[in-house]
Amino acid sequence: MSSVSLSVYLVLALILFCIGLYGALTKRNTVIVLICIELMLNAVNINLVAFAKYGAHPGITGQIFALFTITVAAAEAAVGLAALMALYRNRKTVHIDEIDSLKH
Amino acid sequence: MNGTYFLSLLIFSPLLGMILLAFVPKTQERTVKLLGFLSTLPPLLLSLFAFWQYLRGYRLEHLAEKHDWVRFTDFPFLTESTYLVRYELNIDGFSLVMIVLTSLLTTLAAAASIHIKKEWKGYFQLFLLLEIGMLGVFAAGNMILFFIFLEMTLVPMFFLVGKWGGFDRERAAYSYLLYNGLGSAILLIVILVLFARTGTSNLELLNEMLHNPVAQAQLIAPLSEELRLWLFVALFIAFGIKLPIVPFHRWMLRVHVEAPPSIVMLHAGVLLKIGAYGLIRFGIGLFPDQFRHFAFWIAVLGVINLLYGAFLAFVQEEFKMVLAYSSVSHMGIILIGLGALNEAGIQGAIFQAVSHGLIAAFLFLLVSILYERTSTTTIDRLGGLAKVMPLTAGCLLAGAMASLGLPGMSGFISEFTAFLGLFQTKPVVAAIGTLGIIMTAVYMLRAVLNMTFGPSMRNDVQALDMSTIEAIPVFILLVLIVSVGVYPYMLAKPLQAAIEMMMNGLGG
Amino acid sequence: MMEIAWIVPLFPLFSFFFLLAVGKKMKETSAYVGILMTLLSFLLSLAVLFDRLGGSTYKAEHVWLTIGSVKLTAGFAVTALNAWMLVVVSLVSFLVHIYSKGYMHGDERFSVFYAYLGLFTFAMLGLVLSPNLLQTYVFWELVGLGSFLLIGFYFYKEEAKAAAKKAFIMTRIGDVGFFIGMILLFWQVGSFAYDDIFRAAEDGTLSQTMVTLTAILIFIGAVGKSGQFPLHTWLPDAMEGPTPVSALIHAATMVAAGVYLVAALFPLYEASETAMLTVAVVGGFTALFAATIGLVQTDIKRVLAYSTVSQLGYMMLALGSGSYVAGIFHLTTHAFFKALLFLAAGSVIHAVHTQDIEKMGGLWRKMPLTGPLFLIGTLAISGVPLFSGFFSKDEILVAAWTHGHVALFWIAVVTAFFTAFYMFRLFFLVFGGEKRHDEKDVHEAPAVMTLPMIVLAVLAVAAGYVHTPWFGTFLGDWLTDGAYAHETAPGWIMAVATAVSLLGIFLAWLMYGKRSLARDWLSSRVPYTYSLLWNKYYIDELYMRTVGYAATAISLLLSYIDRFVVEGIARLIAATVHTSASLGSRMQNGQVQMYGAVTFVGLALLVVILAFTGGYL
Repeated sequence: MSSVSLSVYLVLALILFCIGLYGALTKRNTVIVLICIELMLNAVNINLVAFAKYGAHPGITGQIFALFTITVAAAEAAVGLAALMALYRNRKTVHIDEIDSLKH
Repeated sequence: MNGTYFLSLLIFSPLLGMILLAFVPKTQERTVKLLGFLSTLPPLLLSLFAFWQYLRGYRLEHLAEKHDWVRFTDFPFLTESTYLVRYELNIDGFSLVMIVLTSLLTTLAAAASIHIKKEWKGYFQLFLLLEIGMLGVFAAGNMILFFIFLEMTLVPMFFLVGKWGGFDRERAAYSYLLYNGLGSAILLIVILVLFARTGTSNLELLNEMLHNPVAQAQLIAPLSEELRLWLFVALFIAFGIKLPIVPFHRWMLRVHVEAPPSIVMLHAGVLLKIGAYGLIRFGIGLFPDQFRHFAFWIAVLGVINLLYGAFLAFVQEEFKMVLAYSSVSHMGIILIGLGALNEAGIQGAIFQAVSHGLIAAFLFLLVSILYERTSTTTIDRLGGLAKVMPLTAGCLLAGAMASLGLPGMSGFISEFTAFLGLFQTKPVVAAIGTLGIIMTAVYMLRAVLNMTFGPSMRNDVQALDMSTIEAIPVFILLVLIVSVGVYPYMLAKPLQAAIEMMMNGLGG
Repeated sequence: MMEIAWIVPLFPLFSFFFLLAVGKKMKETSAYVGILMTLLSFLLSLAVLFDRLGGSTYKAEHVWLTIGSVKLTAGFAVTALNAWMLVVVSLVSFLVHIYSKGYMHGDERFSVFYAYLGLFTFAMLGLVLSPNLLQTYVFWELVGLGSFLLIGFYFYKEEAKAAAKKAFIMTRIGDVGFFIGMILLFWQVGSFAYDDIFRAAEDGTLSQTMVTLTAILIFIGAVGKSGQFPLHTWLPDAMEGPTPVSALIHAATMVAAGVYLVAALFPLYEASETAMLTVAVVGGFTALFAATIGLVQTDIKRVLAYSTVSQLGYMMLALGSGSYVAGIFHLTTHAFFKALLFLAAGSVIHAVHTQDIEKMGGLWRKMPLTGPLFLIGTLAISGVPLFSGFFSKDEILVAAWTHGHVALFWIAVVTAFFTAFYMFRLFFLVFGGEKRHDEKDVHEAPAVMTLPMIVLAVLAVAAGYVHTPWFGTFLGDWLTDGAYAHETAPGWIMAVATAVSLLGIFLAWLMYGKRSLARDWLSSRVPYTYSLLWNKYYIDELYMRTVGYAATAISLLLSYIDRFVVEGIARLIAATVHTSASLGSRMQNGQVQMYGAVTFVGLALLVVILAFTGGYL
């Protein structure tokens, strides 16, 4: 009884990914950028789960990968926020456009 | 003459000088210069010895050397020598003549280097490295080795121009590097395509692979006619930049003007000839059919070069620029000879390579002597030099005469043979080209007479003619130029076998 | 003796090298080296000539250059023509060598002058001995070099520099014609040797068009060397050289080379009517053209120079009319009387230190030797009976008439009239009348200068008798190996020739000797013609305005193209690389979000490309 087709999930993931991408590329506040990256990861998760159910070879692999992603994303958020805290202590800012000293 | 290591010894003998120089304190000007000069003698003596033996009938094949060097793959289904780069050297009459020319001009240029003003030690070390590269280019038995030696000339030349040159030296050095780097890159592509497709870079094997139907069937991957055409065009451009062919000549003007005259002697005398050598060796040697296909356009390019250089030389204010454009113009004669695609033409092209080497070196030797005394080579600021420096002025006039192809000097022989060749196959192109003979006389006489004849412009110059030490290399070159002109057979004889080989390749 | 004829040119060559090497220390004694060497040349040439009188042609060759299987040779041949020319050249050169000792006395570069004379003589003797075209070309160019060096001898003078350059370049233009013709002949015949070429021209290996084409191309070379119209402009300017050089150039070496070349290749020309006609027309036109210019010039050497151009035209006319003998005969007599005239002119210039005939006058008494000698030369060139010029000129007129060139015949007659007129105009202005110069101490030249003139004067009279219709045509018989066609010329030709020359002399005497006719009665009537002649038909200006400016314009145009277009394209490429590099580096601003954006765009592009190409890049 699949009234909802695969493409709907994919479009939802696409929208989510685009919002995330837009935010990650444009927002000045690093916290928001990080959150946006989480959004993109979650868009991927939706894809994974959707393909696991409706893909050419339905199986459990996609769901397992989604779990992996969530775990890694959690770790990433922790590390990212920690780095951000350290940065804030040094530079007194969380604006991403002011943090460019790595270019030299 | 036990041949096995003779060529290696010849090529790398300047290395001895480089090592010895390393132990000399760099402040000792005289010692450095003397040692630098002496280090150029071993290759000269060795090459003259080889030349003498060759004239007496020694077979140059005995000199070939071959050692395994780098193996790229080791598939069991391939033969032993596939994808194997050997360190292999061999020479024929043509290479030998070029080697003698190189070692001779290097020695004379080293003698002319007494006017170098700073950091003699570094200068001579680079100078000797340059010599190794130049000698190696002419002795290399395969294309990869050829390429390595070619690059070996590029680097020292860059520093020699960039450090010891004139006012705008760095720009000159960079354009030299860029243009020639581009040429080398194109050449490398050609070499690699050939290597990848045939599994070898040895000239003889390549020739076999490309033209023998049996061997062609065994190619790793076939070479289509179209690809060959493109490879030839790429090769032509690569060596055309070195030669140089209009419109790739701008770098060479700067080098002519900015580099120290002793280096220009080598640059105009030998380095430009590598372009001609490559065109003849690889262009005619590997792609005779493609060469034949483009022969008409090569001849036309030759005429364009000849006239373009001549007309531009006519309006230059700076004598070095006149000589630079005259080099462009004279390289046109090489193309004319090659475009003729017959024995006379190819012989003319090779003669021109040798003859222009001698004449250009001769003229730049005089420029170095002149510049040392007058601090300028701008034509308008000189004049009436014949009064204060009769010997130098006389030699300048002799150089001009040689350059404009006066019979009795080497320039005539090459010009004559090249045109003789072209008139057989493409008389109309050749007839247009003869306009260049007139123009050469016009610009050469204009420049030289304005410098030497007329009322004396500079009474302030210390009226010193060339000293004996300076005069010796000048006279050696003059004697060579005249003797080739008076009795060209002595140059034709060593080349005969090599030219016949090429004609056989073209024969089909 | 003929086997060692090759040594003849080597004497002066030795003199050249020897004097260049040690001449500076020898100062004026170097003259003796030069004189001795040319004397040896002359004596050996005489011996060769006598040997040849009884013998046949001798030829020796040696491989000079190989091109594949083709062997080019160098060597020498002694033919009747060669042997004759050897004597003429070495004799005139010898006399000029002696004369120069007096004329160049006190010059700083005395020994250099003698060295150059040696080179010049060597080149001409070598040219004469050459058995093939290529070798002829080699010496041909060397003759050009010799004249270039000698014309530019006073190198510190701006005019000498220009004249030397002009001589070299103008003759070089002609030489290119020679060069092309020679090579074309080679590919048709397969050899440069004269014999082979003649054989090919005879048996039809050479097509008629090819014969005509090559003959005319080679004739262009002769036009340049022999100062024929339109390449004659260098010859009058060549007067910038010392006067003995002018004598040498005009009499025996440089300009004679062109006539000699046509004579040496005569069988080739005979094979083509068109080529012969070209030679005759160019010769005839030049003869008249130069004579008219000579009428009004006031520089003593320039008048003589234009008379040379005119006389060379005569020789070409003779050759073009098929009379090989008349050409060579006139070449010989002209060599003697023109050398005499120049040496005498040099003696005059030496005395009064000017070349302007308006500033001379009244020298007959002051120079008791030079005056009569100059008169002999003038009589000879004017074609007065019993002098050598009379016989040779008559021969040419007969040739033109019998060959059917009626128009050219009358042109030659008019030229003869002009020649007599301007030569005697010269004579009366220089030697007659009152003194118009301000030189106090005018004295006769030293014996070393007058002696060669006396010898030449004797020859200027006597040389005519080697070939006369009255006493026998020795030269003609010998040059053609006895096959000389004794043409019975109408007797009136000789009468007409005598009449016009006497008329010319008479008119000159009226205007400049007796002065019963005002000098400007003609020039004031036709002022435009006069200034046209005075300015030599504006040929120099024409060349300057057309060829000269065109060459400069093309050069400048090309130099702008080179500097802006060629260099511009190279710069454009460099700039493109530079711009893209700086664009790339501007993106590396340290902003993470920029990097992210670039990465995303790149990824997107890649996906799009892959989608379009179906997975293959």
